[in-house]
Amino acid sequence: MTMFSRRQILQSTGAGFGYVAFAGMSTAKAAQEKSSTNPLAPKSPHFEPRAKRVIFLCMQGGPSHVDTFDYKPQLTKDHDKRGKYGGSLLKSPWEFRQRGDSGLWISDLFPNVADHADDMTLIRSMQCDQPVHPNAMTQMHTGTAQFIRPSLGAWTLYGLGTENDSLPGFVSLSPPSGRSGNYGSAFLPAIYGGAKIGRGGRTARLARGGSGESVPDIKNPTLSKSQQRTQVDFIQALNREKLRRDKVQPGVEGVIESYELAFRMQDAMPELMDTSKESAKTLAMYGADGGPTENFGKQCLLARRFAEAGVRFIEVTHGNWDQHFNLSTDHATRAEECDKPIAGLLEDLKQRDMLKDTLVIWGGEFGRTPDAQGGDGRNHNNKGYTTWMAGGGVKGGFSYGATDEHGYESVENKCHIHDWHATILHLLGLDHEQLTYRYAGRDFRLTDVHGNVAKEIIA
Amino acid sequence: MTFNRIAVALLMTGLATQAIAQDLSREQLLFFETKIRPVLVRECYGCHSNKAGNVRGGLRLDTRELTHIGGRTGPAVVSGNLEESWLYNAITHQDFVMPPKRKLPQSVINDFRKWIEMGAPDPRQTDVAEIRSSISKEDVERARESFWAYKKPTRPQSPAVDDAAWPRTDIDRFILAKLEQAELQPASDAEAYKVPRRLCFDLIGLPPTPEQVNYFTKQWKTDPDHAIEFVVDRLLKKKQFGERWGRHWLDVVRYAESTGHEYNYTYPHAWRYRDYVIDSFNADKPFNRFVQEQLAGDLLPVKTDEQWAENLTATTFLAIGPKNVNELNRALFEADLIDEQIDATTRVFLGQSVACARCHDHKFDAIPQTDYYALAGVFQNATTYFSNPPSEFGQFSGLQARRSSSLIILPIDDPSPYDTRYSSKELNDLKRQAAEKTQELNRLPRTGVMGSNEGRDILRQRIRLTDEMSRLSAKLSVVGEDGKPRSYTMGVQEQGSPMNAQLLERGEIDQPGQTVKRGFPQVLCSTPVKIKERSSGRLELARFIGSDDNPLTARVMVNRIWQHMIGHGIVRSTEDFGVTGQFPSHPELLDYLAVQFVESGWSVKSLVKEIAMSRVYRMNSTFNQDDHQYDSDNALIWRANPRRLDAEAIRDAMLSVSGQLEYERPRGSEVAKAGYTRVQGGSLVNARVMAQNATGQARGGGRMRFNGQAGGRSQFGDGNRPVQRQGQGGFQSRFQGRQSFADQSTDQSRANQLDMEDAKFRSVYLPVVRDEEPRSLAVFDFADSNAIVGTRESSHTADQSLYMLNNRFVIGQSAALAQRITNESSNTREQIERAFVLTYGRPPTSGEWSAALTFVHDFGGTISTASRQQETLQALCQSLFASAEFRYVD
Repeated sequence: MTMFSRRQILQSTGAGFGYVAFAGMSTAKAAQEKSSTNPLAPKSPHFEPRAKRVIFLCMQGGPSHVDTFDYKPQLTKDHDKRGKYGGSLLKSPWEFRQRGDSGLWISDLFPNVADHADDMTLIRSMQCDQPVHPNAMTQMHTGTAQFIRPSLGAWTLYGLGTENDSLPGFVSLSPPSGRSGNYGSAFLPAIYGGAKIGRGGRTARLARGGSGESVPDIKNPTLSKSQQRTQVDFIQALNREKLRRDKVQPGVEGVIESYELAFRMQDAMPELMDTSKESAKTLAMYGADGGPTENFGKQCLLARRFAEAGVRFIEVTHGNWDQHFNLSTDHATRAEECDKPIAGLLEDLKQRDMLKDTLVIWGGEFGRTPDAQGGDGRNHNNKGYTTWMAGGGVKGGFSYGATDEHGYESVENKCHIHDWHATILHLLGLDHEQLTYRYAGRDFRLTDVHGNVAKEIIA
Repeated sequence: MTFNRIAVALLMTGLATQAIAQDLSREQLLFFETKIRPVLVRECYGCHSNKAGNVRGGLRLDTRELTHIGGRTGPAVVSGNLEESWLYNAITHQDFVMPPKRKLPQSVINDFRKWIEMGAPDPRQTDVAEIRSSISKEDVERARESFWAYKKPTRPQSPAVDDAAWPRTDIDRFILAKLEQAELQPASDAEAYKVPRRLCFDLIGLPPTPEQVNYFTKQWKTDPDHAIEFVVDRLLKKKQFGERWGRHWLDVVRYAESTGHEYNYTYPHAWRYRDYVIDSFNADKPFNRFVQEQLAGDLLPVKTDEQWAENLTATTFLAIGPKNVNELNRALFEADLIDEQIDATTRVFLGQSVACARCHDHKFDAIPQTDYYALAGVFQNATTYFSNPPSEFGQFSGLQARRSSSLIILPIDDPSPYDTRYSSKELNDLKRQAAEKTQELNRLPRTGVMGSNEGRDILRQRIRLTDEMSRLSAKLSVVGEDGKPRSYTMGVQEQGSPMNAQLLERGEIDQPGQTVKRGFPQVLCSTPVKIKERSSGRLELARFIGSDDNPLTARVMVNRIWQHMIGHGIVRSTEDFGVTGQFPSHPELLDYLAVQFVESGWSVKSLVKEIAMSRVYRMNSTFNQDDHQYDSDNALIWRANPRRLDAEAIRDAMLSVSGQLEYERPRGSEVAKAGYTRVQGGSLVNARVMAQNATGQARGGGRMRFNGQAGGRSQFGDGNRPVQRQGQGGFQSRFQGRQSFADQSTDQSRANQLDMEDAKFRSVYLPVVRDEEPRSLAVFDFADSNAIVGTRESSHTADQSLYMLNNRFVIGQSAALAQRITNESSNTREQIERAFVLTYGRPPTSGEWSAALTFVHDFGGTISTASRQQETLQALCQSLFASAEFRYVD
């Protein structure tokens, strides 16, 4: 396959024009050229992919693995004893049960998700290098907390392109504010960056609006479609003029690309965001019809609609898992808000025969300590925690790796965040060592010089 | 229960007092062991102890420390203070009912009363572990002596260069020397018209007028140095300079007008600090003085009340950080507050992240955990004022604001135009209502709250009444007895006699370790700084940071100034001058600038001028393949960086070009107008208040004037009078129109309140509510006010394109520009040319000409009515605003 560098794109399109220089033309020739130069056009992966798209359910704040998906009977037995780094061990306030035919142990915090145990692979040996939220969050998304690097979604889009050029190929629903680097493109062309839909502080409003009005400025109040097309053509002509003068100007290319996408989004987005035609049954399945699940249910439903529309990478954030205090009440609340929506998403994807090639990923930036903090809380734990995947070619009812007897550290089949990235790319048909981008004279990749594919989890 | 009956601000957590070893007398010990401990064990431990594994309400009574830290409401016991001891409150069945099933015998209650009054002697001390640092004295010394940033800058020798004709200033010699080393050529000078555009945007954040460009171009031909100096001197005198550079500072100090977090409460007085910052930059206040005022303005000697007021306002710096006011645990809230102050202080002024050492020794820098707690001791003696003063009815904060504080009254009256003023009738009305509510609250039964239906009903009533009281109290508290507004500021004040802080193991409030003597991070002190016994050390800290000898303060600031002029810092990690930060690309230049800065009396304007006068500043931004291959980041500065304008400059430039910009500073802010309130759904006005008020108006004029509504008061300036629009009228127009809005108000219009699309003043005065920043700013990478931001991102997104194509503000400015042009000329070609000149600062190129003519033909069609022509011109103007050229400075 061909990976385009910015330089190659520019050379192949002549005098430094971005591909969209052709978007306004209607001739077959232009269409042909477009398909070969559009940086978002679908591209062949390195090998046969198992998953075509990703829905990443990002659990911000660090959900506790020992209270959710990492069953630790010894922790219950040793309750109140001293933990290996001090503090008293705290047994989980929730019961664990064996679920499905596979008998995966999952706690009562996720009763609905647990019904899908036979579709899930639990990765119980996660590790990252960062013990504090912003850094760990950034490492989970970009592989490093130290430098500004493209996010997983941006790499995916760069590697595979997207199947709907009227929508961004990478969307992030209600991301926490001020952390745009987590869905950014860094040195990759801007077009590969994630489009933010709704913002952290305004999540509730996004969920409330049943129509595309929740996307600001999506419609022009006065101009007709054709008038606006004429206007956009003029803006693009001015932009191309500038690009011609500047020769190489990634920023201006970014502007050009963003106008074409924005123009097409005006039709596609309101339609996509309008969930009024979804049946009451579907809404109920996601818990999007009211109650504590409404907000996240609505977002999971939108995630499915984006996936269906051909968007390559969809991230949905569910925050506030950081229970240093009030673990027993607040973890229950957090889980209740997302358990049914996630189960609904898995169910819906299955019904639509999309789960087989949609990789659903669930995980936080780290887990929490087996020992108690303040009696009813847990601290950050980045040396051992759990994430899970479902669909997209992973085994069902499978548990991979393990932490020590109490859940402090990964001890078996350790899955560092680099390995996790490598595995996700692998499922998408991308070799993490081949997916490179040349920047400032060096070939960069998501996994830097690390990363081993966890082959065992592949079905 | 969030209703806090004690009208005081923050109290110390008691962490410090725990350090004082208690020598209990035999009688005290006996009293505790016979009267208190058995009751605690029998009645309380079941639900409130670590040992029982049960900690209802986060409260543990196992040890003395845990009892003093308390649970989600506050400390269970405060020595000698019954009023503040929640344990006593609960056993006497006031706000809490404990034990839940029955009341303790009066004799037992009397014992507890006596015990607390005698100072709550308690032998249940936790063993304090001595936390040893893994960073030794030698490590610290080695770092201080070897790491570049800790060494005091000295004036470096100006380097020799081959091309002696090129440099104009020493700056140029430092840059050229490195370029020559790498065998690169500096770019040629930029075209004349580009230079004033750079200067104007960089210095005042606005584009030059075509007349200014023309004048400059003529001057430039004869004497470029003089041409630049002429413009720079004029721009430095404009008050727009402070608005531009003040905003850069506001980015770094995480300026915002609300607490942020889930329960987002306003800071209605934060704007005073914003204005203080702007005025300080305009006055070219020595930067070291500026530093000291912000850290310890309350402690600096003053001669006049005006100066005192200014200094107090400056300390808002320590109070405006994001806060989780819904935090259950008081001790944790205090620890977080101090942590935030340490983080802001060290990163903003010193480029050091000392806050990393809260839980453990710094992983990379030589900052042991003990140094963090030495600094925590300095800050913990300050009371931080950030929310709402109490009224005569007590301190009622918002329903979800479990943690609140008062404010500082300014020594001089300086009311904002939005400060409420009541007639004596209104005032009496408010007081009567408050008295009624208080009575109602007092009448509510105290028992039976838990469990039953009746209990739930009582609880609901209590919540409703408390909520109403908090609003009434907030109104009353901001005026004097005569109904006239009082002038408040946020900030800090010292309290009591200073105490040292206790180190917390892993940063956990219930794991105290040894007491640490107040002090500053050792690695930053070449000679140890003495803190007097009776001083908290904050004034010493301010003087230490704002000292000519501090190795970091000047370097960090000159690096930021350089970044804003050149496009990137000499140290790219502008807030990290530690080991994990980046090494300076030009260490000698950085030191040269730092020394110059200090020697100029810490004058920001002098440094801005020196950079603007350099040859480096006027280089072209032309791309060069070979140079790019060698140095793609332009670290050596072989050309000028093409820069995207920031959000404020884009909005202000549209207003400036359209002729709509209001230069007058609006006093106060939209948030000041709203007063103290919780921000919900993007709106500053509580939905219930809106509904209530609508009902009141329907009954024939509101009975009282709520802060949140305009109520006939003038809006910002003159031009901000909201435009009454059909159909989708803005939030304010509803108020002005005096319509009943309860049935009309929609989420959409409320959500847009903070966007202020009708405002025409400069962007720096738009409201900055955390997580609810105005769209016009947020869309172009406005600094996240939850973080310390020295370097903004510069993204290109479809969302920005949607904004430029469809946003009402942009369309309005395009119409205004079109009108301006039509007023000047009716000839199409002249109009087009004028549109380019106004927006780009130059006439169109031939390519742009033909594109524009094609557009006019295609868009305007064959019909040539006046209105059609106007529409076409408006669409053309909007296209120019929307194009990449408009948002770039090359």
